[in-house]
Amino acid sequence: MRSFLPAVAEQLFQDIQKTYQEASQIPNDLLIALKFVFGSCALQALDLVDQHSVTCLTAPSGRKAFQVTGGSGRLYTCFLSCHYCPCPAFAYSVLRRNDGLVCKHILAVYLSQAMAATQQESVSDQQMSLLLSGTMDP
Amino acid sequence: MSDRRKQLFSYPRTVEELLQQVASLHEPTNTSPTPPSLIIVDRLESFLSGPGGSSQSGFHPGERSCAAHIAALLCDTAAFLTQVLEQRGSSSAPCRIIASFLSEVNAGGDPSGTDPILDVLDRYFQVRCTLDQDSGYEATAAAVQEVWHIYLSGRGITDPSFTEDYNDRPGVAQEWKLFIFPDGLMEFKLV
Repeated sequence: MRSFLPAVAEQLFQDIQKTYQEASQIPNDLLIALKFVFGSCALQALDLVDQHSVTCLTAPSGRKAFQVTGGSGRLYTCFLSCHYCPCPAFAYSVLRRNDGLVCKHILAVYLSQAMAATQQESVSDQQMSLLLSGTMDP
Repeated sequence: MSDRRKQLFSYPRTVEELLQQVASLHEPTNTSPTPPSLIIVDRLESFLSGPGGSSQSGFHPGERSCAAHIAALLCDTAAFLTQVLEQRGSSSAPCRIIASFLSEVNAGGDPSGTDPILDVLDRYFQVRCTLDQDSGYEATAAAVQEVWHIYLSGRGITDPSFTEDYNDRPGVAQEWKLFIFPDGLMEFKLV
């Protein structure tokens, strides 16, 4: 995604990616840094990644989006290039209170990409339109 | 050589229709023969009014999320269309977004109020162009009907990539006065 994150968060994901490629695990110091930067949603996001909850959807036109399966089983569609999530936590903590940088679903997308744990799935262009507009209730 | 570009006017009646139209811009019917390189959304505030209309005292909680959805969708769509334009070697790249939003906050003259919807939109749009009507004596003194103060703000103003488009015009202007005369003549003056 184009950078909507502070430099420290960008660097953290780069470090996680590099370390995970080498050792297939995230060392404690990076986990602590993750918790420090992102707060309580860090562990929740890691949990989502462990459950292979992040999928990259691709349409024939080349349009992509991320879909994250939340804890309740509900599917959240997130954009490729900027931060948005239809979940209540994004609306409240991020937009309204400006408490958090992102919600756990968006963080799970970043972590999943860094850890090469993103699932891949194809959808039609029309299905992609419905998902992006929020019309299709997954 | 003429540059023939198609302009498409669309009148979505609801925010859902607006979302559906923007969300479908990646479909082949909209990207052939050429994808759009400029998307303009007018009167964004009219799509975001909560039940009973928006009010200063209590913005409907869903309005912020709705504003974020529209803004994020527009930005993500522009990013995708830019990619398509560049892949096709088009000189029209990048795809740009312009949206207008009339804020109800400060309509009563209180300069300290902030519009939470504008705060949300600022997260996604790199540059904000604000038009403030000057209600002071300047209009009377200059014998004009209206005076507007126009200025640019946002992270895109200081972002180096913003000034790349203006390499041949260093020091891009950021503030103007607009004078509107009784006969309709409009005059811009750099501040």
